Amino acid sequence: MISVEYDYANARIRAMKSRLLDRKELEELAGKLDLESVINQLEETPYREDIESASVKYTGIACVEYALRQSLSNTFRLILSFVKGEDTQTLMEIFLNRWDIQNIKTILRGKNIHEPANEILESLAPAGALDDATLVALTKQLDVKAVIDLLATWGIEYSRPLTQHFKEYSERKDLVVLEYALDKFYYEHALSVAAGESYDEGIIRGMLTREIDVTNIKSVLRIIRDKVELEDAQYYFIRGGKELDVNKLSALSATRTIDGVIKQLTGTSYDFLASVPDEYVKMEKISAFEKELDTFLLHKALGLFTGDPLSIALAIGYLWAKLNEIANIRIIALCKTEYVPEKELMEELVFV
Amino acid sequence: MVEPMIPIGAAIAFGLGAIGTGMAQAKIGAAGAGVIAEKPELFGLALVFLALPETLVILGFVIAAIILFVLV
Repeated sequence: MISVEYDYANARIRAMKSRLLDRKELEELAGKLDLESVINQLEETPYREDIESASVKYTGIACVEYALRQSLSNTFRLILSFVKGEDTQTLMEIFLNRWDIQNIKTILRGKNIHEPANEILESLAPAGALDDATLVALTKQLDVKAVIDLLATWGIEYSRPLTQHFKEYSERKDLVVLEYALDKFYYEHALSVAAGESYDEGIIRGMLTREIDVTNIKSVLRIIRDKVELEDAQYYFIRGGKELDVNKLSALSATRTIDGVIKQLTGTSYDFLASVPDEYVKMEKISAFEKELDTFLLHKALGLFTGDPLSIALAIGYLWAKLNEIANIRIIALCKTEYVPEKELMEELVFV
Repeated sequence: MVEPMIPIGAAIAFGLGAIGTGMAQAKIGAAGAGVIAEKPELFGLALVFLALPETLVILGFVIAAIILFVLV
């Protein structure tokens, strides 16, 4: 990889990072009385243009959601436009493909409960490789099967795992089957693309394997909470994690208690879960653990900013930081819509 | 009769300084353009950083001048 390709891109990304909202600005947003004040405040941030264009079509929470989706999509496209080099773009696309997976899952969920096409379309984040026309066509299909058939007809690779597992989905009538198939396909494909020895591939692989571990731990916690049979549990694990292989995950599930999982994770990078208050362990409040795991992942991603300045590390770190900012603004907007007290709102935000 | 190695030494001093400046400015220029694209207000600072490696070629020039005009 020629390092000169990163001079322009990484200097620009560093400048973009300096414009992300800091803790003080987010606290200011969280301190606003209602959603209208939040929207007005957002107009004084780098989200001004997105909010202005969204407010032409939408009001209230829909306006914020639309603006955030546009901002995310524009940021991804912008970074992809100036990160040069075939190898680098391929690696960046791995990161962006997760939005294809996310969008297909959203469409499948929508079709599963017979949501209107326009409502599904509004929930999508057009940031991945699938263009707007493809997404519109997918949302207009009659049902789950028609969506999969269209993906297969157009030769889109995501149709493969869906076609393979469609029979199982039809028998069990459980969309989780298709969602896990998509996740497994994404991670297997991504790891095969980033299998080389270069520094950039190491960065991508490092983040992917961490994500797989985190996803698997979340699955273990849900398996325990929902009392899923141990034989079925293995089905939900994704191979290729950094520290936890399928045997270890099966052992974690076999403890049948969240307390047992925490004890088994001692000595791994995930033993920070022991810091979750006992009351949440007893209540089996999975969301508290999920937040800790997501924060851990975010810390790892933002740590990339201290990596090689002439590598893909900065771009990946920035995209994670941007995602976190958008998630925080979305939480603030949703809490303001529901009039959640500021103290509770602040607990939901993730600062790194 | 001028010793032939003297102008060659002066040329190497000046030439290598110029090449070094060029390499440094290529990277700083690209990075500067990236910063200015996002923050135009930093144009002045980027220009200062871009000019810093000029010292290399100036030093090379001074050494070449010393070789040519003092040592000869």
